[in-house]
Order: sequence, then C-alpha cells, then structure tokens
Amino acid sequence: MVVSGAATRTLRIPAEVARMGELRAFVRSSADAAGLAPAAVADLVQAVDEAATNIIVHGYEGTAGEILAHARRRNGRMEVRLIDWCRPFDPTAVPEPDLSIPPLERKPGGMGVHLMRAGADAVHHRVRPDGGNELTIVRVIDRQPGED
Amino acid sequence: MPMTIDTEHVAGSPQIAVISLIGELDASNFELLVANVRQAYDDGARGLVLELTELTFMASSGLVALYSAVRIMRGEAPPDPEAGWGALHEMAEDHDPDAAPAVRLAGLQPPVDRVLERTGLKRLFDSRPTRADAIESIQGT
Repeated sequence: MVVSGAATRTLRIPAEVARMGELRAFVRSSADAAGLAPAAVADLVQAVDEAATNIIVHGYEGTAGEILAHARRRNGRMEVRLIDWCRPFDPTAVPEPDLSIPPLERKPGGMGVHLMRAGADAVHHRVRPDGGNELTIVRVIDRQPGED
Repeated sequence: MPMTIDTEHVAGSPQIAVISLIGELDASNFELLVANVRQAYDDGARGLVLELTELTFMASSGLVALYSAVRIMRGEAPPDPEAGWGALHEMAEDHDPDAAPAVRLAGLQPPVDRVLERTGLKRLFDSRPTRADAIESIQGT
C-alpha cells in the first residue's frame, strides 16, 4: 500500500526478502519524482535495499513483522526512513570494512552495510521509544551523480 | 521485480552455458541463480557466461551467488549461503588469473558495476563487454 501525501510517501510491507522489489520500486519512483539524477537514484535504491534486507535478516531474524517506509524530499535532500518493530539493531554501528586490505583479510560481514553507506550521504539510527528501530537514509539531491 | 533466468548452452570446447539474468538480483533470488549454475554444470557446461545486460540491480547477496558460480564451475561445492562473506574472503585468496575458471561476466551495467567496484571485488571477476566477447575469450576463435 502506497500513500501519497503532499510531501511524504509511505509504504508498509511485510518484512520478507520477497517484498524488497516492491520497496525498491517505491524508493525509485520517489527519488525520480524528487529530481535525483539516475546514478543517485540507483545509489539510494541500493542503500535502502541493503538496510531493509539487514532488518529482515538480522533484526527480525526470519520471524514475522513489518517494515514501514517513508520517503520525502526536504531541504534539498531525499530522505527514506525505515521503521521496524524488531529488537534494537543499529547498522551504523557495524564497523566499516577496510577496502584497502585484501578481501581475505577483512573481517566477515559488513558488505551490505558498506553498500548502504556508500550509496547515502548520511545514515541515522535511533531506537524508538515504543520499541523497534528507525533508520533514516539521506541522499543530497544536488550531489554529483556517481560521486563517492 | 522478479528476476528471469534463461540458460542457453553453446556447443564447443569447452561447452559453455550462457545464463542471462533479467531483472533484479537480490536476497530473495540469489540462491535460484546458484541452482541454475549447478544445473548447467551438471548438464556438462565447463564454461559460464553470465549475461548481465538486463540486470538492473544487484544486492550484496548477489556477490555471494557470483562467487558460488565460480566455485561450481571449478567442480567445487558452492559455499554455504549462511557463510556469506567468509566465502568471498576465501575467493580472494584463491584468485589466480592463470588458474581462473572459465567464468565471465558480460554486459555489466553501471549500477551492478558500482557494486563490484565499491566492494573491491571487481578484480575478482573477469568482465567482457558483450556475450560474444565472453564466449570467444573462453573458447578462442
């Protein structure tokens, strides 16, 4: 279900990897409408996919649940907020892999989180007062396409 | 968006499977790709071209599938999907261009190319502009 308001669009989906295509389409159309360049849209879609997949795999750990997504343009930024009701899980606390060292020597994990960060200009996490998590992924709209 | 997987066998030495991915490769379907590569190997393919011209998105889980494809074409067991990135770390150690299995990526599009670049894994996969280039690089002219 997509609800479009004047400024914010909302999508609520079951926390299942089979629903990630729907979430990506929602982010893609919201970011297109907000005027992001195509490469920036792709980056944001990647960041949100990796974040939501992490919520399903590491947050809900296969149990039933939901993810609520809000997308809005504000002050030259595109923001996608993901809300869940699972145990506190902060992907921004996952250490960044050091890509300068050979993959073998890197600590396992963290590639999805790395792609989340690489596609965003900022990622904020907070535990909600009523339980669950709120993750906000921000992409600046005038950022040069493909710029890292 | 669901992903469509088409497999075509190309006769010659070695026999090649061209597996075309159309759509988006993500956590919901990367194991389907692994199963298709396994089937192609069981059907006699000893070269593999992953045709990615119409692959518009690849999640990090897709990288695990790419690595699994390399392992299968070497006649090895694919890694346990639960092992996740441990598998890719192992791949880097294994990487020896002279002994590289006959696996090629063809037609990489920018969003998928960026995933390989950003994870530092692009050098682990032999990429060619087109399917024809990829087939020729395996079978020769």
